[in-house]
Amino acid sequence: MNLIRSRSAVEKKEPFVRMVKRSGITWRKAYLIRALALICALLTGALIILLLGHNPVSVYADMIKGSFGSRISRIETIKIAIPLLGSSLCVALAFKMKFWNIGAEGQILAGAIAASYIALFHHQSMPGPLLLIFMFLVAVLAGGLWGLIPAVFKARFNINETLFTLMFNYIALGFINYLQNGPWKEIPGGFPKIAMFAFDARLPKVFGVHIGWIIVLALVFLVYGYMKYTKHGYEISVVGESSNTALYAGMNVRKIIIRTMFISGAIAGLVGFMQVSGSDYTLTNYTANGVGFTAITVAWLSKLNPLIMVAVSAFLAILQKGSNRIQTDFKIPASAASLLTGTILFFMLGCEFFITYKLIFRKGQKNGRNR
Amino acid sequence: MKRILVVLLCAVMVFSLAACKKGEKSKNGGDITSENIKIGFVHIGDSSDKGYTYNHDLGTKNMQKALGLKDEQIINKYNIPESSACDTAIRELVDAGCNIIFATSFGFEDYMIAIAKEYSNIQFCHATGYKAKDTALPNYHNYFGNIFEARYLSGIAAGLKTETNVLGYVAAMPYAEVISGYDAFYLGALSVNPDVTMKVIYTNDWNYPPAEMQAAQALIDAGCDVLGQHCDSTATMTTAEANNAWGVGYNSDMIEAAPNAVLTSAVWDWSKYLIFAVSSLLEGTPIPTDWSGGIKDGVCDVSALNENVIAPGTADAINAARDNIIAGDLQVFKGPLYDNQDNLVVEDGAVFIEPQSAPSFSHVLKGIEIIGG
Repeated sequence: MNLIRSRSAVEKKEPFVRMVKRSGITWRKAYLIRALALICALLTGALIILLLGHNPVSVYADMIKGSFGSRISRIETIKIAIPLLGSSLCVALAFKMKFWNIGAEGQILAGAIAASYIALFHHQSMPGPLLLIFMFLVAVLAGGLWGLIPAVFKARFNINETLFTLMFNYIALGFINYLQNGPWKEIPGGFPKIAMFAFDARLPKVFGVHIGWIIVLALVFLVYGYMKYTKHGYEISVVGESSNTALYAGMNVRKIIIRTMFISGAIAGLVGFMQVSGSDYTLTNYTANGVGFTAITVAWLSKLNPLIMVAVSAFLAILQKGSNRIQTDFKIPASAASLLTGTILFFMLGCEFFITYKLIFRKGQKNGRNR
Repeated sequence: MKRILVVLLCAVMVFSLAACKKGEKSKNGGDITSENIKIGFVHIGDSSDKGYTYNHDLGTKNMQKALGLKDEQIINKYNIPESSACDTAIRELVDAGCNIIFATSFGFEDYMIAIAKEYSNIQFCHATGYKAKDTALPNYHNYFGNIFEARYLSGIAAGLKTETNVLGYVAAMPYAEVISGYDAFYLGALSVNPDVTMKVIYTNDWNYPPAEMQAAQALIDAGCDVLGQHCDSTATMTTAEANNAWGVGYNSDMIEAAPNAVLTSAVWDWSKYLIFAVSSLLEGTPIPTDWSGGIKDGVCDVSALNENVIAPGTADAINAARDNIIAGDLQVFKGPLYDNQDNLVVEDGAVFIEPQSAPSFSHVLKGIEIIGG
């Protein structure tokens, strides 16, 4: 009895494994960990593919072929990456401020609804280029306002922004459902869908992809510059580190929260505009299609750095396009394909833990310290 | 470490290049034969729904067998939403060298028409759509069938079975294809049970099993004891089974999913059209702009009756009605018919004849109550 008690007392002192924050890690080591994680992810994925009864090498090859193999697949991969990159910029601005904007999805839809309103009901009243500019402006404004509402409540009443922005997604989605089934239905009494836009209201294409890819790349540099080199950007990171410090330094924290969320929402609204006007040519339930949530993954994987987001959203687009392809070619069920991409993402996100922390095992204590 | 990474990256790139080369096949012209024809499909779901897409897939397999095609001659795109993803899916099928492409969901139509305009040498066939006759494109076609005939027969089984005299119906979308379906189902029930009424709940989605389950549960809680359905999955039937209620399936024979609940199912045999369209292309004969078939063509019918569950006399009643439909003596939408606002929509002695393959009858009939609508 005594023995057991004393043993458990020892265990309390020395747990089998301890997490210790790394004091500093060389970039070499960080990239080594990431490369190892990628290899582990691919191996685990290979195991899943083997269990499904396919050859992992040919399935992976098919994923790459499916996302680069032909002109059409390259165009589609870029089309997937555009809204992903845009939304990642949107959430990154808010996250830098430690404002958990889970509402990119809803802000995209708010922008999309506003742009669609102009495209559907006012396209005759102005010439093409002006129409597109007008659609752009209302979308940015609508997205910004949709992001502004939770920000005001956060700044004024300290209301939890995570839940607030999350709920706002479903309001926007429900509103589209209402429009589809009611006032915006293409044919009264017909199928609940909104009409396709007139040709004037569609974004032009450059190299086969709608012009959104240029807009979003320009935005990457704008956001990067804004966050890194402007006073606003500096304020955002101070509020993010500690709002008390910001107050002490004489910053107007409320104003910063509200302003940043307006910009964040406005970027999402722009994404919504590009989706309806460049990609779908109409407004549907699928206009955002989860991109506002996937963007959170992209933002974290990129450490909120806009330049890295370009690569990460391209990587995710390749994964998505590739998994669509293997469904068709190998008759792999959709759920198994998303399991595969989920596994890869799990490892990529999980390895960030090992970059920030190290594990010290009880027996291997000395080893851990030596390192 | 860097060096290893570089080597790895190079390997991946070489590998992907090699993979790409293999994929590029020459797409030279020439006659289309059963040896070289390529057929593409765009589906909104996949066969795991055990309903709409599963059943369409079954049609594809029967067509493949009937025409002796190899597996690689058929390319399926599954889980394609009704957005620009559909545009991409069709273009990828074009890219893969398909000579004829079938799209099976209503919302694909506008995207498909746009592509049909670009590729006049490829045939495009769209199920449930209605715009082919207006676009006047020689290579764009609609197809569907008189599923209301099968619905009517399945309604007979429901009308004889119900004890509460209240039927329930889980419906996808509030428009003609769905409305005419539950109207026919209700008219079938009414033909054998003059006291029957029906409640309908919409899910606003073709394939969303959780919503279908909730709607089914709500209908049962409201006193319905036989459930019909117009949505892609089997959730309505399994919910009926869990509540000791009964159901009538749709698309495919759903007895397997709920063996103690399903009386019968209104089913499609899509292979009839698929074989017809593909052989037309092979023989060089034009595919009709707007194709439709009914019970007498074997395009739709009710599946084998579940002898352990059906009410006595069901088989006789259904067989008699089927014979009359085939003989042309029984018309489903025969007047007088009133809508649920008491307006006369089909006059006494008149018959509503469907003018196109996609259903257009969209009056909710008297005796049917839309819940939450």
